Amino acid sequence: MPRPDVTALRNKLLQAGISPTYVRRTVRELNDHFEDLVDEGLDAGRDRDAAERQALQSLGAMSNVAAAMRDQPQLKSWAWRWPRIAVVIYPLACVAALPVVPIVAGVQHAESITRWGLGLVLAAFVTATMFLVLQLAITLT
Amino acid sequence: MAQTNPPFMSGVPELLLLRLLEQQEMYGYELVRSIRTVTGEAISLGEGVIYPALHGLERNGALKSRRKAVAGRTRVYYGLTAKGRKRLVKLADDWRRIQGGIESALGTPAHA
Repeated sequence: MPRPDVTALRNKLLQAGISPTYVRRTVRELNDHFEDLVDEGLDAGRDRDAAERQALQSLGAMSNVAAAMRDQPQLKSWAWRWPRIAVVIYPLACVAALPVVPIVAGVQHAESITRWGLGLVLAAFVTATMFLVLQLAITLT
Repeated sequence: MAQTNPPFMSGVPELLLLRLLEQQEMYGYELVRSIRTVTGEAISLGEGVIYPALHGLERNGALKSRRKAVAGRTRVYYGLTAKGRKRLVKLADDWRRIQGGIESALGTPAHA
């Protein structure tokens, strides 16, 4: 079943530094366009295979789409447009994120952490009680 | 594969897209059909390359987009912004000037 090779296109665009947002949108819109072309072919009386072949031909080569995207520098991700800033910003952002990560993880997994904490407190209480009983038994005998 | 247009067509798709979107919002497939219709099929785009052009114009602020669910599919509709209208006026003026120049040149006998 012929379909546009959007996986290869996606990889090419990401490798060329196109913003992932525009890569996702392009792939989605190309897929929708392909479906519209197939519907048009089916309405014209073609069988599905012929309609898909015709749709693929009308859509054009994915390499042309990739080349047209590469020709639009404004579609590149900011890290590709300003690599020097990215080199400074990324490490700083990572360092700034380090103290935040445990807090975010704590909020996201609050229920598990609460259960784990209560379990730990209960285990400590049981252990302390056992030690106390043992100590009392030694003292009283 | 779909026939594409030669390099001298550079800028024409942009002008056509802005002109068509000036009248109403459209999504990619609709735009390609409209271009065929309004140009009497004289201009045939490799249909997939319309999206880089649309995204480039949107990124430059000439177009705005919004998603709209139609018949079970989510379409991305494009419309013109104020900046896009200004761009359209400029491109149309440039085009008319070039067209006039070429017509004048074609009307003048070539020198030996």
